[in-house]
Amino acid sequence: MTEAELASHEWWEQYKETVNSDPEMQVRGHDRFDENFYVELGDERFLVAMDGGQVSEVIPNPGLNQEWSFGVEGDREAWEEFVREVPPAFNHEIVASNYRTQVKGESGHLELTGNNRQIFQNLRPFQRALDLMRHTHNNGGNL
Amino acid sequence: MNELEPGTVEEITGKYVHVDVNGTTQRIYYEEAGPEDGIPLLCQHTAGCNNQEWRHLLTDEEITDEYRVIAYDLPFHGKSVPPTGREWWEEDYTLTADRFAATIVAIADALELEDPIYMGSSMGGNVTLELADWHPDRFRALIGLECGAYSPGFYIDWLDDPHVNTTEVNAYACWGLMAKQSPEQTRRETMYLYEQGATGVFKGDLYYYSVDHDYREKLGDIDATECPLYVVNGEYDYLTTPEDGTEVADGVGDGCVAVEMADIGHFPMSENPVLFNAYLTEILADIADERDGKLPEVLTPDDVGVELNRTEARAVPKETEEAE
Repeated sequence: MTEAELASHEWWEQYKETVNSDPEMQVRGHDRFDENFYVELGDERFLVAMDGGQVSEVIPNPGLNQEWSFGVEGDREAWEEFVREVPPAFNHEIVASNYRTQVKGESGHLELTGNNRQIFQNLRPFQRALDLMRHTHNNGGNL
Repeated sequence: MNELEPGTVEEITGKYVHVDVNGTTQRIYYEEAGPEDGIPLLCQHTAGCNNQEWRHLLTDEEITDEYRVIAYDLPFHGKSVPPTGREWWEEDYTLTADRFAATIVAIADALELEDPIYMGSSMGGNVTLELADWHPDRFRALIGLECGAYSPGFYIDWLDDPHVNTTEVNAYACWGLMAKQSPEQTRRETMYLYEQGATGVFKGDLYYYSVDHDYREKLGDIDATECPLYVVNGEYDYLTTPEDGTEVADGVGDGCVAVEMADIGHFPMSENPVLFNAYLTEILADIADERDGKLPEVLTPDDVGVELNRTEARAVPKETEEAE
């Protein structure tokens, strides 16, 4: 398991390395994944800038000079559950979490935001990028 | 799952049966394994998928020694091509409760199955409520995997949209329906099967699943004392939770049992076949009245002697065992 705290600078550096060496992001056209997305943990927001299936940079507190297509929001506790090696039910994957939030109206889960067309056009590589947060956090593990 | 020895031939056979469903002839593909005079166990796949989800059950000799396991493809799915007698390409494929239940009964009739057990997952689990309500005399028992009275929110336009890679999206919209502790190999295989669905079919099935199926006010119409109903939901199923299963059982009353399966999700038979087949053995023993005591509210891997994240298949053909 990585010693770095979730979403610390060191953690994001390890995440960047994990995504950029991930073979799955290179196959079936995922190397064309160019949509920037943000990850919001409580009050902290990070923009993950994607370029050809690679993370080009992670920008804390993005503002008017940046652009993104979609994002994921949740409190830090929900993200801590999401990145556990064996995450609990309903915080174990983004579509699962989003369903419990948006359809069932529950709190404590992650929620998708942004342009739904672009989310579905990029669903798999976006989802993979999120699952790789778990991979980063546990230095491997069952995605 | 274990790789079998090269040259191993599985005992599964595949055939086509022609079935009259509400006046339309459908050419239905099915696979089966087990003794001809065994108790028929009729298996329905999930929305947008096909009978390959049951391949690990069809090779489980602990079950096929006794049961005649039959897994079919619904029309428009897998090898059951659309009907030749209709201009089906001029309309959206849309599955309704009436058509779904009628198709299942017509397949059981065409195969002349005597007192079959019906089992299905997801939309195949939900339809146990219609079958229990409308056709309780046709089945020995009904096993509704991932069954709920109402499962809204999955009739999604993006799942059949020209701007979206639906092959991939239809599969990976389902990725989180499985438990992370299920082996990655079998979870990936489940998604691979999903990627084989025809355009529009997954969404059309979800019309039944998320719109037309609504038994919230009708559970009392079901008399499960005529035909036992098992509602068996996985812990990680976020669409139809074990709690939803309990609500079904409470609403139906006598004859209906809810069981939670721990550490597994919405595609139990294909995402973790070793664990599911062991869970199923407990359900089948209850149907056959061969259990000591009632089924527990929650079945766990420990209860059935399965170690999580094992990758070996439970069912190894006898020839292979002897060769070793």
